[in-house]
Amino acid sequence: MPKLDSKQNAVYWIDRNRIYIIFLGVFLVMSIFAPNFVGLRNFTNILRSMSLNATVAIGFTLVLIIHQLDLSVGSTLSLGAVFTIGFRLMFSELPPGMAWTLGVVIALAAGSLIGLINGLLVAKAKIHSFIVTLGMMIIVQGVIYMYTDVSLSATTPADFALSDFMRMPFLDSIRLLTPRILIAILSVVGMEVLLKRTRFGRNFYMVGGNRDTAWLAGLKADTYTILAFVFAGFFAALGGSMVAIEMSSSPVDLGVNSLLIVVAATIIGGTSMMGGKGSVFKTMIAVLMLETLFNGMNRFNVGTEFKIFASGMILAGVVLYEAYYIYKHEQLKGQRAELLKELEDGRKT
Amino acid sequence: MPDDLNQQQPAQQNSPPGQGNAAAAPPVSRELKQSGLNLWINRFGVYVVAILFILVGIILFGGSFFNSKNFLNILDAVTLLGMAAVGVAFVTYSGHFADLSIPTTMALSGYIAIELIPLGMFMSIFTGLLVGVGVGLVNAFAVGKLRANPIIWTLAMAYVTKGVVRWVWLNKQIYPDIKAGIGNEHLADAFINLYRIRIFGSISITVIILIALVIAAQFLLKRTKFGQQLKVTGSSYDVARLSGIKASRVVGTAFLISSLTAALTGIFITSLGKVGAYYNGEGYDFNAVTAVVIGGMTLNGGRGDIIGVLGGVFVIGLMRNIMTLMGIDTFSQTVVQGIVFITVVYINARSLRKLGRDDA
Amino acid sequence: MSEAEQLGKAIEMKDVSKQFPGTIAVDTVSFDVQAGEVHALVGENGAGKSTLMKMLAGSFNDYTGQIFIGGQQVKLHSPSIAKDEGIEMIYQELTQALPISIAENLLVGRLPRKKGFLDKKRMVEESKQLLERVGLGDLDPLLEIEEISQHQAQLVEIAKALGNAPSILVMDEPTSALSRDEVALLFGIIHKLRDEGLAIIYISHHLPEVFEVADRVTVMRDGKRIDTRKVSDVTTSELVEMMVGRKMEEMFSKRVRTPGKEKLRVENLSRYGFFHNVSFSAHEGEVLGIGGLAGAGRTELARAITGVDAIDEGEIFLDGKQIRIKNMTEALEKDVGYLTEDRKLFGLALRLTVGENILSALIPRLVKNFVFSSKRGAGKMKSLINELNIYPPDPGRTMSNLSGGNQQKVLLAKWLAIEPNVLFLDEPTRGVDVGAKVTIHKAIEKLADQGNAVIVVSSDLPELVGISDRIVMMRKGHMIGEIPGGEATEETVLLAANGEGRYVNAG
Repeated sequence: MPKLDSKQNAVYWIDRNRIYIIFLGVFLVMSIFAPNFVGLRNFTNILRSMSLNATVAIGFTLVLIIHQLDLSVGSTLSLGAVFTIGFRLMFSELPPGMAWTLGVVIALAAGSLIGLINGLLVAKAKIHSFIVTLGMMIIVQGVIYMYTDVSLSATTPADFALSDFMRMPFLDSIRLLTPRILIAILSVVGMEVLLKRTRFGRNFYMVGGNRDTAWLAGLKADTYTILAFVFAGFFAALGGSMVAIEMSSSPVDLGVNSLLIVVAATIIGGTSMMGGKGSVFKTMIAVLMLETLFNGMNRFNVGTEFKIFASGMILAGVVLYEAYYIYKHEQLKGQRAELLKELEDGRKT
Repeated sequence: MPDDLNQQQPAQQNSPPGQGNAAAAPPVSRELKQSGLNLWINRFGVYVVAILFILVGIILFGGSFFNSKNFLNILDAVTLLGMAAVGVAFVTYSGHFADLSIPTTMALSGYIAIELIPLGMFMSIFTGLLVGVGVGLVNAFAVGKLRANPIIWTLAMAYVTKGVVRWVWLNKQIYPDIKAGIGNEHLADAFINLYRIRIFGSISITVIILIALVIAAQFLLKRTKFGQQLKVTGSSYDVARLSGIKASRVVGTAFLISSLTAALTGIFITSLGKVGAYYNGEGYDFNAVTAVVIGGMTLNGGRGDIIGVLGGVFVIGLMRNIMTLMGIDTFSQTVVQGIVFITVVYINARSLRKLGRDDA
Repeated sequence: MSEAEQLGKAIEMKDVSKQFPGTIAVDTVSFDVQAGEVHALVGENGAGKSTLMKMLAGSFNDYTGQIFIGGQQVKLHSPSIAKDEGIEMIYQELTQALPISIAENLLVGRLPRKKGFLDKKRMVEESKQLLERVGLGDLDPLLEIEEISQHQAQLVEIAKALGNAPSILVMDEPTSALSRDEVALLFGIIHKLRDEGLAIIYISHHLPEVFEVADRVTVMRDGKRIDTRKVSDVTTSELVEMMVGRKMEEMFSKRVRTPGKEKLRVENLSRYGFFHNVSFSAHEGEVLGIGGLAGAGRTELARAITGVDAIDEGEIFLDGKQIRIKNMTEALEKDVGYLTEDRKLFGLALRLTVGENILSALIPRLVKNFVFSSKRGAGKMKSLINELNIYPPDPGRTMSNLSGGNQQKVLLAKWLAIEPNVLFLDEPTRGVDVGAKVTIHKAIEKLADQGNAVIVVSSDLPELVGISDRIVMMRKGHMIGEIPGGEATEETVLLAANGEGRYVNAG
């Protein structure tokens, strides 16, 4: 007899924590079957590849929590990378440290500005976020190509020094973490604490859960909407910027598949497409799971093509699962416990 | 996303209280005039914009813009987009935003069509279209039946089909003449000429097909059971279901139509480019949505028609043409198009709101 | 001079107006409430009550006129300003965030903090205290709203308003989802708050409630204030007269109808967990009422019979022949219709026009040779608009621009349009003004007089008793008894709904 889930239910618990279970499953399978998978160096690689999309996904998750959508994060991360290198090169007469700082600051400012425009158009002009961010995605892509249509690279030894710093494990005791990985993880954890443990953070959930409730409670729903988009732009640019520094270059096709991975991870991580529910930390674990999977696949010499297919399938699978779960839930909503009990009693006799 | 992403503040969005009891004398005095201008913008906006663009073109370039050759150019440039947009329009009309899986469906149908050239033109085109049916049925089941989020779902499908294309053909392009093989050159030529058939000497077959498609789609949308039920479903899925409409089937059909026209467009694109490539169809998702939305369909569904969408396609074509004549590069054109896209939606939404139909 | 009047005016609105696109919702209204007073606000749907109150709650920044709180003029241009002035509002439609916990909904905007971070322990404690005040002490405050029932959610809404320690409390139809015991509890709370000196504004359609709970009553009609009276100085019929602007009609004409042969019979029908082993029959030319409390399984029963939800067990006979209805399309093909309970969510496509809505269940029948033509339905549409007095009588009008009563009439028109032989009506007059109610009842009776089986589910007791030829009673998912038309009174039905009285079958 199907029953509506309750807090005590094991199914409910599993669903809440599914991402940890899936991650452990993938990790174990790869550890057992994938050749040369287990090893600190490889784990560092996995974490490194996680850093970009985990950072970008912070914003996407937050935007989904407030019940909106941001398709422009992929373009924004490319812009972040291109601007970081581009402006660093523009200021090359300045000392490298200064030039890098300016590059990063301008990239982050540009990302935040994109988010601000998205947010204003959604909250104030009341245009659907699908339209706004789809348009913005195209606009930003155009802007990037207008700015440069080649991959930019830094050239001086000082640049490579910074790049090396970003990619080297900086503590012998924790060999897993490089500065870039640490920046990503700290960003995620910081946002998680902000969202889960402060009044300010909880207000995002309230706005996403029910805009009217939030507005009637005196929360400035528009402000939270705009802020969520600004965060999304900022973190997308941050992700791109950090990759650019680490690689000392900004490939134009950076982040081509980011949107897919970010969307997939956010939804696998349990963020609700209906708003009001979600966790940036779980999203990060979902990115980690996907990257672990890809890394393991690499051991079997599987090409990028298959990875696109696989992640598409995973996203499709999760969306179907979610849809089916809601579909079932709707059908059982309103069942009366005493009637179910009566039925069971009837069966027994 | 559900369709209430952009509502006005809660209180204002409630339906204005009406006129109380009809049996009592109707208090006509409480009614205010609705602005005729807003109603008008809402109905004919897109063709006004098209005419404005033509005027701008004439003023800037005179005869080099305003001649039949240039107009045929514009027409040629937008026919493929038009075909795809007609399909997407059904999805938008059904209240499910857009179908983001059309670009990769186009690429896939193109590959399949070329692969099957040796079996003859009919099989090539037929099987190419079958790709559309396949993708469409999957979308129909996921979104129509299980109510998966259409944006996220079709995005996932886009990557699945893209993955299939790139994985199966290993990122390689394929060519009709090579696939047809020696002795079958006529088949390869037939496929390549598919796009290039001209009737009355100058009108491309694709234009004829587009016109036929538009007429058929307009008829389907406005004058059939399916179209009427799609309108109710687009306005509210639950209401449709409780009005005896098989809403999941109706929505599914909309997605099927979208995939089918995408597959058709894909075959023509492949014929035009003489090559099957994974990048065929790129950008058609955004362009089709732009045309549909500029054409007056609102994301909330049940509003607008195919004639408007055709207007939207013309607007995009004219805009591109004028910008090209002005010497603006394609990237800047994309930026401009993005801005126009958002602006038009804003104007449309605003005029609807002024009309008290604040739902766009 | 009573104690209330000595406390002075807690709130005073002077010549306030509010305009929407197309209408003036509130037209130069003056209104005041004393501290320590329960002031009822009555009027038909669309009279402007809710708009007037939303003005108080700070929902509009473009009203005109003056508002004084405690003698000070204020501009209530946002909900937060209203909150700062001590105004709390309980809305008719629930305004809670479903995926969020009860605790966070209760304490929204003022979640307890310790050193900048949330204080979860205090959050739970404070929530528990608030829940206890409305009799929900056992509820886990960390449950999400979507996990609790609608009447619990309604009580949570009340607890939330109380939690903000308001000095002015506005309640808009707070009892619509509550059981009898819960209403009694609520009235106890209201009286206690009044004695503590709060100013309470109580909006209701249910006039007996007004007499039970209020001190004064203000009547609104067509956006204007008609009169304010002491409750002790006014009668029900006077109030109704002021509300509708004419003499109260005889609402229910007891007709003599002789039911014909059996039309629909249901045997041992079950949808597991919703209703079990339900059997009843409905006859031609009969209005059959289904009575019971909210949650008795009446809506679920109607949905299952009409193919909206799946049936797990049992048989349905139409004209003596067993039928299987797998979905609503098949129900419609057999001329069986179902008017849903919630018109905004399930009944009407609010963004389409009146005409499109009336024809929405009729589409397959307006198709000839694959061509649909709305013209084929135009005649029927016109006569229904006339018969039901739908205002404005313009099929091209967008649905959302109509008042609640007229929307409900359009919903009925939609189902009358299919010319049903069996029609289920689920709460056919919920939230509808008196005039519309009379029109709808007449249409229902006419449908039965034409020899069709009409089955009415209603929580409105006078309506159920007045309109039904026979009433079958449901309780907790079971069919528990039947009351013949001649013996049905509000008392017998209510008693049976609670599982008591002589009409309840033994065992």
